[in-house]
Amino acid sequence: MSLLRSAAAIIALAGTALPAFAEEITVSLWSRADRSGPLRAGNIVTAAEQLNRMFAAAGSETRIAIDLIETNAEGFDADALELLKAHSVGETPDIIVAAHEWIGAFVEAGLAANLEAHITENPDMYADMIPALWDSVKYKGERYGIPQDSEIRMFFVNNDILRAMGKDEAFIAALPGQVNAGEFTMYDWCDLAAEAVASGAAKYGWVHRPNVGPDFQMAMASFGIDIYNDEEAKLQITRSGLTEYYKWLGYCVETGALPADMTTWSWDSTHAAFRTGEALGKFHGIWNVGAQMESFGLTGAEDYFAKLTWINAPAGAKGGQPKNLSHPIVYVVGDTPNKDIAAMLVAMASQHVPNTRHAVGTNHTPINYGQAAMPEFVQNGWALIAGIPMLDYAEFMPNHARIGQYNAITYQGVQAVETGEMTAEEAAEFVVEELEVELGDDVIILD
Amino acid sequence: MGGEAGPNWNDLATRARRRRRLTMALLTGFLTLVSVPILLPYFWMVMIAFTARSGSAETWALWRALAILVPLTLGYAVAYQILAPRWRLIAGAGALALAGGLMALFLGEALHLSNFRFLANPNVVEEIRGQATAGGQFPWVWDALLNSLILAASQTLIVVTVATLAGYYLSRFAFRGRAGFLQGLLVLQAFPAVTLVIPIFLIAYWTGLLNTLVAPILVITALELPFFIFIMKGFFDAVPWDIEMSALTDGATRRQAFRIVVLPQVRSGMIAIGVFAFIKGWEEYVFVTGLRTGNSYWVMSTYLYYIKEDVMGVDYGLVAAVSLIYVLPSLCLYLFAQKYLTQMTLGGVKG
Amino acid sequence: MHNPRPRRRNVRSAHADTALFLGPAIVLLAIFFLAPIVVNFVTAFSNMEQTVRFEDFPTTRQFDKLWKPNDAALLGFELRSGFSRALWLSLIYVVFTLGIFNVTFALILALTTTALPDRTGAFFRAVWLLPRMSPSVVYALLWLWVVDSSDRGLLNQILGAAGFDPVNLRLDHPMAVIVVANGLIGASLGMIIFTSAIRSIPVHLFHAARADGAGPLAITRHVVLPALRWPLSYITIYQALALLVSFEYIFLIMGPARSTMTMAMLSYTKSLAPSIGGGQYAYGAAISMILIVIGIVVALLMWRLANMKSLLQAPRIEVR
Repeated sequence: MSLLRSAAAIIALAGTALPAFAEEITVSLWSRADRSGPLRAGNIVTAAEQLNRMFAAAGSETRIAIDLIETNAEGFDADALELLKAHSVGETPDIIVAAHEWIGAFVEAGLAANLEAHITENPDMYADMIPALWDSVKYKGERYGIPQDSEIRMFFVNNDILRAMGKDEAFIAALPGQVNAGEFTMYDWCDLAAEAVASGAAKYGWVHRPNVGPDFQMAMASFGIDIYNDEEAKLQITRSGLTEYYKWLGYCVETGALPADMTTWSWDSTHAAFRTGEALGKFHGIWNVGAQMESFGLTGAEDYFAKLTWINAPAGAKGGQPKNLSHPIVYVVGDTPNKDIAAMLVAMASQHVPNTRHAVGTNHTPINYGQAAMPEFVQNGWALIAGIPMLDYAEFMPNHARIGQYNAITYQGVQAVETGEMTAEEAAEFVVEELEVELGDDVIILD
Repeated sequence: MGGEAGPNWNDLATRARRRRRLTMALLTGFLTLVSVPILLPYFWMVMIAFTARSGSAETWALWRALAILVPLTLGYAVAYQILAPRWRLIAGAGALALAGGLMALFLGEALHLSNFRFLANPNVVEEIRGQATAGGQFPWVWDALLNSLILAASQTLIVVTVATLAGYYLSRFAFRGRAGFLQGLLVLQAFPAVTLVIPIFLIAYWTGLLNTLVAPILVITALELPFFIFIMKGFFDAVPWDIEMSALTDGATRRQAFRIVVLPQVRSGMIAIGVFAFIKGWEEYVFVTGLRTGNSYWVMSTYLYYIKEDVMGVDYGLVAAVSLIYVLPSLCLYLFAQKYLTQMTLGGVKG
Repeated sequence: MHNPRPRRRNVRSAHADTALFLGPAIVLLAIFFLAPIVVNFVTAFSNMEQTVRFEDFPTTRQFDKLWKPNDAALLGFELRSGFSRALWLSLIYVVFTLGIFNVTFALILALTTTALPDRTGAFFRAVWLLPRMSPSVVYALLWLWVVDSSDRGLLNQILGAAGFDPVNLRLDHPMAVIVVANGLIGASLGMIIFTSAIRSIPVHLFHAARADGAGPLAITRHVVLPALRWPLSYITIYQALALLVSFEYIFLIMGPARSTMTMAMLSYTKSLAPSIGGGQYAYGAAISMILIVIGIVVALLMWRLANMKSLLQAPRIEVR
């Protein structure tokens, strides 16, 4: 019923806004070529096709054509920068698939359309959305995007390597609990990984992403760095926490747990290192499950969890809290003449059926409550169901306008420390200085 | 032993010849040593393109091929020195035949063309690695090749024309500010393209040329101009004035003299800068990526760059095959224009 | 040699000549060279970031990112660590690449290949031109494959066969990698310029020298090198400046690694590098400004020192 109502609304909209002959509306869609999410763009295309069928059924000549812009950017940060460059020269796309933390920068650049009105005027499309997810699209209290998915990040641990090291099943089974209790720390993790390499059970200790990304925020949180100051709405860094974090990274590299040139690896080798069983651990996210099943030849939940264990990011020091980070990808509607129809397409693509197709196919968490009840989800989404407890420790990154720069700068410190160019203290000093210089008032430096 | 009145010329000659042969051999050896590291990776790439199956950059094909080719090449080189000219050709043909035969024997079954399937199938990468997009991730390689060709050819045409005209004028005419102009050109050569990427991006944006091929064409042309103008001026300086003067006294206008008489003289110069310009346009990467947003158009450099980022480590064969197709035109052009390149001088020195 | 001729043309025709011959060059240079220099200057003094707007013009904010006031330091300013590091890396990169490859090895190549019989010499020159003639992405790709730190890398395979441990050149010796990578390309330009200069030395000088009993080394010193003085200075200046601002190969081989972040790389990475360019256009422009200034100063300095005036010999004809 509600869909028909929406369709009628759309057709009325199209009817009033356009002359009454065959009309093709081109809606441009900006996305990234991303193996872990081809349906993010795909669902919009399907939604457009559905809408065209509605137009045809209503006897209207209007059709929507989707103009796909799919970049080959290495990550969402890189893609956001390309998008801002395109926007700066007037090529603002109508719909954008983006990482949520860039919303601040998009709004400040005049790129993102305010969706508050759209959301409140179309309650039937959004009523089942998980409320916590709305926080990820808010900037200064208003919503500028629609959540598209979220995920759970973790350290994957290869149990077979642990067994080859001589660890028993009890150790493996107790590991997640120990991490959650704050007894197994980041340093213990690196010691474990170093042991794996030294004993010859693994070629690499553990690997992490070779470029800028949310994972590092998760690790920084483990060391007590609270990157956002809610009262003042500014970014924040703690000098001592940062030093600790870099010290830990340096320790990992020194003991051989982490390859020194990790930041120069290609994505390909990073995935390959874990999926061919050469690395004990991998710091990434739940969407890897599909590819891991394929590489390791696993056939189901039991098989999978016998081979691999998931742990949150351990606490930095004993007695601390483990951390997790949820990093929703969102649809942003560009502030363009097509924004109304674009918003409708986004609404359609955010419904249960298309979203589950994406969520289950690529192992991302659903955005609507009802999805968890769908048979397809229950049957094939066992990984997502298994990961839900980890969300207890999850936070979002803040949607500050300069968070992209913040991440890029702290990543430089990671590069410096891992390659041995600087000591932890030097790197922390350097990063703090760069933050001061580039972000100025937007960042608070704490000791 | 009868006493000789003067120096033994025969002995001296033989000794000198032997010493010369030794020097030549040493020089050749040295040059071979430093040149091998350059040739080897290219040859490796060719081998990978034709032999690699799922994945890695294996070298067994390379070593096997080298094991066949190196002894044969050395053997031929020695034969070349020893044998009389008549036999050299036969020796060469024989070596070639032997090489072909042995390669076919030991490498024959490993050679295959499946790495080149991207020429027919634009979705090769997504078939190997899985779906990444709603549309295709990469265009068909022929689109990229066509764009590269348009870019390189247009840019070559424009720059050769403009540089030749300007070079002639600078060589033959005195005008107020000539010295300053030349000095300015020299200074402009002082900061090649890359310092100006940002402002050129802004200018391209303001002139509405972003996301078109026109922008990189014009930009690359402009940035190569100072160097090429100097080269052409050098070539024009080397053309004797007499030819032109006789044409002028025969009643030709200045421009006719230029077109009919002088221009043919600098043909080799034009070919030289034409080749340089084409190769630069063919390889251009910085201005193509800087002056476009999204994936508005593809050229070969971006095609290879993104394919290698995507499938490196999974399918070296594909990447090598793409590289081979990409390198081929440059290589052919370069080999053809070889002799012209070595005629390039910096004008104004001699006489 | 002036040849006075009756004035058959008037001034308008002369202007038409200028417009035809020199016009296109002037237009292109003005739009894509001179205008960008001006724009770069203006941008460097603004706060242009991801949104391409000239905010806060004029301001020296960008330069504050490079140095900060410090009364105790020389001239009252102290370079920030990121910038001083970039300066240092640029210096090492330029000096070593120029000194080892672009000038020295180019000279060696020119001398050795011209000493050999023509065909052989041409063959080796052809080989050494190959890196310059192949597309940059392909060349960088081959480098990546050769220095790959796993045992798939060609270098490690050879080392392994000789009994050595595999090396990770990109991690342990990144500057060496970019020096050699750029050097192999840079050597070829000097090589062809020097070769053609050597070839144009009149043969009778060689005969005379040999008749005087000079050996090959003496000939090189007294006959060849003097003829190369001018090309040598030109190549040194030109290549020094070209190297100072080059980043393409560094970017393709090393990516945005901190260990090879020369000034040119810093400017590029902060602004327009694909996938990493932060859109910090004003910051990048500020660094480019400094490069431009250094470039002009060095060019003019060397102009005086190397007596480039010989390049400006009066034209053959002063005829209208």
